Amino acid sequence: MGWRWFHQWGSPRLFYERAGRWQLVCGWLALILLVAGSLWGLGFAPVDYQQGNSYRIIYLHVPVAFLAQAMYAAMAVCAVVLFVWKMKLADVAMQAIAVMGFAFTALALISGAVWGKPTWGTYWVWDARLTSMLILAFLYLGVIGLRAAIQDPDQAGKACGILVLVGVVNLPIIKYSVEWWNTLHQPASLKLTEKPAMPASMWVPLLVNILGYYIAAAYLVLGSMRAIVLERERRATWVKELVGRA
Amino acid sequence: MSIEKRMLARELKLIAARPGDIFKPMWFLILVISMVPLALAPDSDLLAEIGSAMIWVATLLALLLNTEHLFQSDFSDGVLEQWLFLDRPLAWLVGLKLVAHWLFHVLPLILITPIAGLMLSVPTEVLIALLITLFVATPALTCFSGLGAALTLGSSRSGILGVLVMMPLFVPVVILAAGVLIRATDGSDTLPLLALLGAFSVVAATLVPIAVSAAIRLNIGGSN
Amino acid sequence: MLEFQFASLAAFFEMAPHGVYVWPVYGLGLLVIGGLTWVNARQHRQAIRMVQRNLEREETHES
Repeated sequence: MGWRWFHQWGSPRLFYERAGRWQLVCGWLALILLVAGSLWGLGFAPVDYQQGNSYRIIYLHVPVAFLAQAMYAAMAVCAVVLFVWKMKLADVAMQAIAVMGFAFTALALISGAVWGKPTWGTYWVWDARLTSMLILAFLYLGVIGLRAAIQDPDQAGKACGILVLVGVVNLPIIKYSVEWWNTLHQPASLKLTEKPAMPASMWVPLLVNILGYYIAAAYLVLGSMRAIVLERERRATWVKELVGRA
Repeated sequence: MSIEKRMLARELKLIAARPGDIFKPMWFLILVISMVPLALAPDSDLLAEIGSAMIWVATLLALLLNTEHLFQSDFSDGVLEQWLFLDRPLAWLVGLKLVAHWLFHVLPLILITPIAGLMLSVPTEVLIALLITLFVATPALTCFSGLGAALTLGSSRSGILGVLVMMPLFVPVVILAAGVLIRATDGSDTLPLLALLGAFSVVAATLVPIAVSAAIRLNIGGSN
Repeated sequence: MLEFQFASLAAFFEMAPHGVYVWPVYGLGLLVIGGLTWVNARQHRQAIRMVQRNLEREETHES
């Protein structure tokens, strides 16, 4: 009984209808939060006394870097759902998240590199966090490439699921080994367990933007999932009825 | 004769039929190593400094090269399907296959690295450490590249995708092995890092065959 | 707490001396999110068009 909502979400048709509404809500909410958070961070947060204005990249870099990692974990959750409950929709989510996750990882890498230029004097250093982010990008690329190489969608989904699960087990090991290998970077600027070292006037807009980017990611993933659902279910009656009505 | 013995005997027969398969990766390794002084400088101090790292990377590439099609022939001639009907768990058979592969294809590669070491004038104590790291780390590497090979079995246009997909997972192994080599160069204690590397290999060797067997199942289209 | 940190709008856009780094990053962020939105919309349209074509083909077969 308590699980009914879960199984309903597994129905492509119900998902398609609900996700349309959710996508709209997420899209507008993300837009408001991101415009507010970014303007706040860019114009109203105080200047960092060490890094000057270049630190304002943080309002994009940190949320995007969080997302890059969180989306891999989300993909792993989808893989578990796919294998345990054989829910096709989890595979759709995996496919959508892989692309969006790669985009966010690339954005985190590029914004980190650009931030590095004024801070370290060079675009790229082999520092722990940049390196593990680069490896994360390769992991995402592997998932995308594997799906593209296998024609049968069911088979591709399961192969990607195996890869993602193996990847998520290895990810912490990779992260710690890379950290051990090199610890040059400034310590993480926002940890959930500690009180951040930044003043509130700096981290409140950061929090707004983190929330904004998470919701934006949900918006993008839902949008992508709807398109994939429609594509995969193109022979289903409900899709034909839906398109015929329009 | 038990299934296990017969499997190993079959692997040996396959190698006897095509001995070239063993030599090609070794050939590749020595060729890559010969390119290093040509691309860098014949200066022996410089070579000795980067030599062990170069050998490690070259061995890694050679291993990937010969593991890429690990399951391909067994898949196309239907041997993998027969495995499903044996009274052994698929993961166990996969593990055996990986062990056989390591013994007959990876071990020769490791045994040839001292020659590469001499070519790059790597000091003896570093060379010994290099050999030990390769012994300890290659089981994990073999398992992971076997998984890459199994995942891309069903796609005809995968190319080197299996390698690309698995390479990021090698990072911890490479880092730990490099750590051992750096400590061996300093003359400090390498045992803790070797233990970690060994632990990684043991865990990989126990868990990865399960993932490999799942990948094989889905390519054969059997019930999972 | 909410005080505009720059003397003028021109100074805001210049963001001395790091404007060259900060603005392109935000531009790229906008481009990525906007681009993905566009890609999703296009994929959605294409899926609908594909179903429509299939429907038309079925109708011509029936008549």
